[in-house]
Amino acid sequence: MANTYVLIASNTLSSSAASVTFSSIPSTYTDLVLRYSIRTDFAGLNIAQARVTFNGTTSGYSRTILNGDGAAASSGRATSQANFEPEEGSPSASNTANTFGTTEIYIPNYLVSANKAYGSFAVGENNTTTPVYLSARAALWQNTSAITSITLTANTGNFVSGCAFFLYGIKKN
Amino acid sequence: MAVTKLSNSGIKTGVLKYDSMLAGNAPFDPAATWLIQRVNGTGSSGVITFSNIPQTYQHLQIRFIAKNSTTTSVADHLYLQANGLTTSTYYSHFMYGSGTAAFAGNFMTQPQVTIRDAIYRSNATYPNMFGVGIIDIHDYTNTSKLKTVRAFTGRDGNGDGVVTLSSGVYPATSAITSLTLSSATGNFTTTTSFALYGFKG
Repeated sequence: MANTYVLIASNTLSSSAASVTFSSIPSTYTDLVLRYSIRTDFAGLNIAQARVTFNGTTSGYSRTILNGDGAAASSGRATSQANFEPEEGSPSASNTANTFGTTEIYIPNYLVSANKAYGSFAVGENNTTTPVYLSARAALWQNTSAITSITLTANTGNFVSGCAFFLYGIKKN
Repeated sequence: MAVTKLSNSGIKTGVLKYDSMLAGNAPFDPAATWLIQRVNGTGSSGVITFSNIPQTYQHLQIRFIAKNSTTTSVADHLYLQANGLTTSTYYSHFMYGSGTAAFAGNFMTQPQVTIRDAIYRSNATYPNMFGVGIIDIHDYTNTSKLKTVRAFTGRDGNGDGVVTLSSGVYPATSAITSLTLSSATGNFTTTTSFALYGFKG
């Protein structure tokens, strides 16, 4: 039986970086899964976000949002965006040392000649009583091109050393 | 030099030659996920432990379906401890939908990561109904990171239920070598199952 869940590429940062790109994504899978842990070096608490774009395109992104901050849940929408933001806020420079947020983005049918619907879960922790964010997204990229590259860019500052990004491909058979 | 593949059909119909060592076969794609261990409930314990976890993967994932033996009320929290740490130093957060509203909250300075309301009890009102979930721990062998736990869980009782996203932290940079999952009350039923997977990185 063929292996249906395969690691395509990974990137673990040994020094800080403003962005990470997975390029030349093979067209031999059905779905993509992107898993990563992040922290940025910008001063502040729980403000790190990875701004995700497909194929270098900076238009056509929208999302429905569900957030929790440890005390209250909230929902909202963002339309006609230049990128996709899975996290409301992951650990940044003012968070407890060595804490990272973790995110998973599931992109089904990334090759289909239709708009791309996808979803994500993201959490952060601070090992203190400080509120952190839990984030769930249902998202849309209004573009019929196959996804051939994914870029993640830190919203402010840089991703710190130790941030790790993994792209997996899922086959239907 | 051409590669020659010998097979019954080839011998019968003529020797086949290929320019690649694959000899007409598809390239091997190594699997990224591997089942490490599956543990089922016994009916006599509310604790399930994964010990001696191999350190050869990048991430861990637990997939579960759970019910316990308590017969009153509705559901219980699922507790997670790592490396036998039982001191009240874990922090957890959650947000959930109840079917009518959304809520968020936290569990502070607890002796475990608390995954809220993830286990159905054996109340006769909810026969054969279970809590389900996926728990992820990225970079579990990394000794420079505190380990963030992410859980997506839910239960539905045809008129009752919740869907929950939870987070927690194992407050140590030690590599995780064991995980203990326990029910807040009662024993896991024999129909309960926890499976631990390793993800290659």
